[in-house]
Amino acid sequence: MNWMPLASLAFVLLLAPLLPGVATRTRALLTGRRGAPVHQLYSDLAKLWRKGVVYSTTTTWIFRAAPVAVTVTAVLAACLLPLDGRQAVVSFSGDLIAFASLLALGRFTLVLAGLDTGSSFEGMGASREVTFASFAEPALFLCFIALVRATGSLSLTGMLGGPLSDAWAAAAPSLLMVAAALFAVLLAENSRVPVDDPATHLELTMIHEVIVLDHSGPDLALLLYGSAVKLALFGALMVGVLLPRAHLPAAVSLAALGAGLLAVAALVGVVESVMARLRLDRVPQFLVAASALAFFAVVLLLW
Amino acid sequence: MSPFFLGLGLILAGGMVAARSGTLFRLLVAAGCLVGFVPAFSVLAGGAPRRASAPVHVPGGPWVFGIDALSAWFLLIVFGVGAATALYGVTYLGRGHDLARASRSHLLLSFLLISLALVVTAAAAVPFLMAWELMAIWAYLLILFESEQPDVRQAGLLYLVVTHTATLALFALFALWGARAHDLTFDALAAAGRSLPGQGAAVLTLALFAFGLKAGIVPLHFWLPEAHAAAPSHVSALFSGVMIKTGIYGLLRVLLLLGGAPAWWGWTVLSLGVVSGVLGVLWALTQHDLKRLLAYHSVENIGIILLGIGAGALGMTYHHPAVAVLGFAGATLHTLNHALFKSLLFLSAGAVVHATGTRDIERLGGLAKRMPLTWAAFLAGSIAIVGLPPLNGFVSEWVTFQALLAGGTLGGPIRLQALAVAALALVGALALACFAKVCGIVFLGQPRMPEAWSAQEAERGMLLPFLLLVLACAFIGLVPAVAVGASVRIGAAVGDVSIAGAGALPSQLITAAQAAGRVSAGLVLLVALVALARSRRRSRRRPRQPTWRCGYAHGESRMQYTASSFAAPLIAAYQPIAGVQVERSAATFRSHPRDLVLNGGVRPLWHGLKWTAERLRPIQQGRLALYVLYMVATMVLLLLLSCAGRAA
Repeated sequence: MNWMPLASLAFVLLLAPLLPGVATRTRALLTGRRGAPVHQLYSDLAKLWRKGVVYSTTTTWIFRAAPVAVTVTAVLAACLLPLDGRQAVVSFSGDLIAFASLLALGRFTLVLAGLDTGSSFEGMGASREVTFASFAEPALFLCFIALVRATGSLSLTGMLGGPLSDAWAAAAPSLLMVAAALFAVLLAENSRVPVDDPATHLELTMIHEVIVLDHSGPDLALLLYGSAVKLALFGALMVGVLLPRAHLPAAVSLAALGAGLLAVAALVGVVESVMARLRLDRVPQFLVAASALAFFAVVLLLW
Repeated sequence: MSPFFLGLGLILAGGMVAARSGTLFRLLVAAGCLVGFVPAFSVLAGGAPRRASAPVHVPGGPWVFGIDALSAWFLLIVFGVGAATALYGVTYLGRGHDLARASRSHLLLSFLLISLALVVTAAAAVPFLMAWELMAIWAYLLILFESEQPDVRQAGLLYLVVTHTATLALFALFALWGARAHDLTFDALAAAGRSLPGQGAAVLTLALFAFGLKAGIVPLHFWLPEAHAAAPSHVSALFSGVMIKTGIYGLLRVLLLLGGAPAWWGWTVLSLGVVSGVLGVLWALTQHDLKRLLAYHSVENIGIILLGIGAGALGMTYHHPAVAVLGFAGATLHTLNHALFKSLLFLSAGAVVHATGTRDIERLGGLAKRMPLTWAAFLAGSIAIVGLPPLNGFVSEWVTFQALLAGGTLGGPIRLQALAVAALALVGALALACFAKVCGIVFLGQPRMPEAWSAQEAERGMLLPFLLLVLACAFIGLVPAVAVGASVRIGAAVGDVSIAGAGALPSQLITAAQAAGRVSAGLVLLVALVALARSRRRSRRRPRQPTWRCGYAHGESRMQYTASSFAAPLIAAYQPIAGVQVERSAATFRSHPRDLVLNGGVRPLWHGLKWTAERLRPIQQGRLALYVLYMVATMVLLLLLSCAGRAA
């Protein structure tokens, strides 16, 4: 049995809470502040896990199920990515669709949990979440089409594993565009600037922060952890496209993934400090632009 | 074939006794459907196709009925959903309705079931058309259940006009095709298929129009939301789950008989799939009427099925049998899945309408606490229709995605079909938005109007069908290899290839389905485990407080987000094609959906026709002498024409 996929899964699951910390720290440093320590989320998770929970009288079981579903779907989606650069824990033809659907299931339950509170705050966040996701999803799939076309494989392991290094020789511009589009999708899916601002609590412009407003204690911990894993997933997808690692030794490949993830997180921080959050009705344009980029990549590859 | 006809007989007997006893009706229809399953399953398991033929003294050759793999698949849908709707209908129409009227509806339902079963088993044009027309008429009468309401009568009339237009096109189709065959049995038509001019261009166009009208392809969908909203909920379930699928059956059957289609047809079907999928879900998002919303989702799902058929037809045209098999497999599997989850959704929506007396989403809310089992059923249906694991909708969308992507890895024009993947992804994301809206506004939060405060859980007779349908959805979702394997065999039959001849992809698909099933099962297991661990921790102390309302002590349920406000950003983004009028004032925000095709195209066209007809009115004077004159004039004209023809 090859333990490498499981080992790299464990590595990414442990590393995930570091990424939001790195992004926030980068932003703080670039804007001339000291900022919270990079391991802040680990401490937050430990603290929240020990705390009690308050439930609203309006809520039902779905409110309590959502945090579990968000984390479990993110972890299962991680099982489908070839994190060590060669092989995923589970891989099959068409697993890229399962990857997207698992994340969509997490989003669906989260949005329902938001609506479950009966608060218009959460309703607002839920509405925006599904709106922007509906623009991000085609962009993500256009990236997948490009990768399928470039590598001829229908599974994430086949796409991001061996054949990708050959594809770089033939279709470097397309793959660069795919990586850029994936970064835009990453920003949208993980509620970062310019789509959403994770640093603004209780402001009407938020999306993700406002859906989880009524969650507390271990439930909130699960939600925060789930979204950190999601950030790591999209980061790993980007690293997988930009850095085919099938030929590297296993340990080096894992180290490269770690470094790549930290670099992506830092890049997120850089974007947050040089850009303002977009006006809400501009966000679709941003994501349509990402789709257009991925579409050009597909067109180049289909040519 | 005899178990099949025995099953139909039992269903007919059930309909006959419906006036005496609702229980007996349920028992007989359920028994008839179970007996009908037997030949369907035996054919699907690889048994020999069944046939029965009756020599009759009408033109067009013998009346043949047969069950091959494709018919067997659709029979599963007819009998499965039919049994669920019949079981449900007795309770649904049981209270608060006139008994005679209810039992008439049950009788019509059993007639409709029989006609549906005959449509998908007829193997000659004449019995097919007869069953088709009977199906249309029973459906019309079923819509008219509440015929004292003018909008129900109007919806019924619209449906009747549309369905007859479709039948007319089918007559033309079989006349054109039959002119080249020695009789009208499907075998003879199949033999004549190759000799049709332009690879059967006229036949394929007529088929797309007639079956497209039935299936509700945009822009031919305009009757569908009206009819589905007007009929009783279990009838809507049968319409949406089964009846519109006869259009899909027709398309697949014509393809099977013709043995392929030219490239333009495949691309047309694929584009219509994209248009129906995207517009269907977008228009669903704008609706506030629960049943109308679900009806627009049928349009969307027909679009997804068409994507599969389009991919399959293109695979046949360009000689990529693997794509053909995958495409048709995706289409047939999604047809079955949509039948299951859409009837589940319509039935549970019916329970909501039954309990609250309103279909208006904006008046509901908080039903999850009052109707927990109905909520569970509706949620399961929603997860399935959005195409999320671990339920069945995911499986068929997954197959369809792969058919399109597999085309994208190839050379030649077929590679362009990969672009439809992006549309399918958009449809999935919009469907998620729409069902988040329905689930959230109808079942979660607090009741918005008095109807929803006093709602009661559905009665037991309605809960049993929920359970059966949820189990079927979960089975296909968790053990997808069985259903995927069967649909691959049907895909191979429609695509006219052997599975072995289609290369490695179809068998890979079945292996992959097992892996996907394991992921779904893992998902269920992990969620259950983590939830269990959480609830053990939680049990120590769980204070409950009202939702935080910015410091105000008494939040009102009117402060909640509404369906209009939830969908507003999406509708704003798609404004030109969403067809919504928005009404804003200081204290209110409302949106009014309009069907662009019905109000923008069909109604003006109809009024134009009426105006032209009125111009012809002066020739109708009601005087006998005048009519005799018309007749003589016509005769003279015909005589002159024939003389001129002979002289030439």
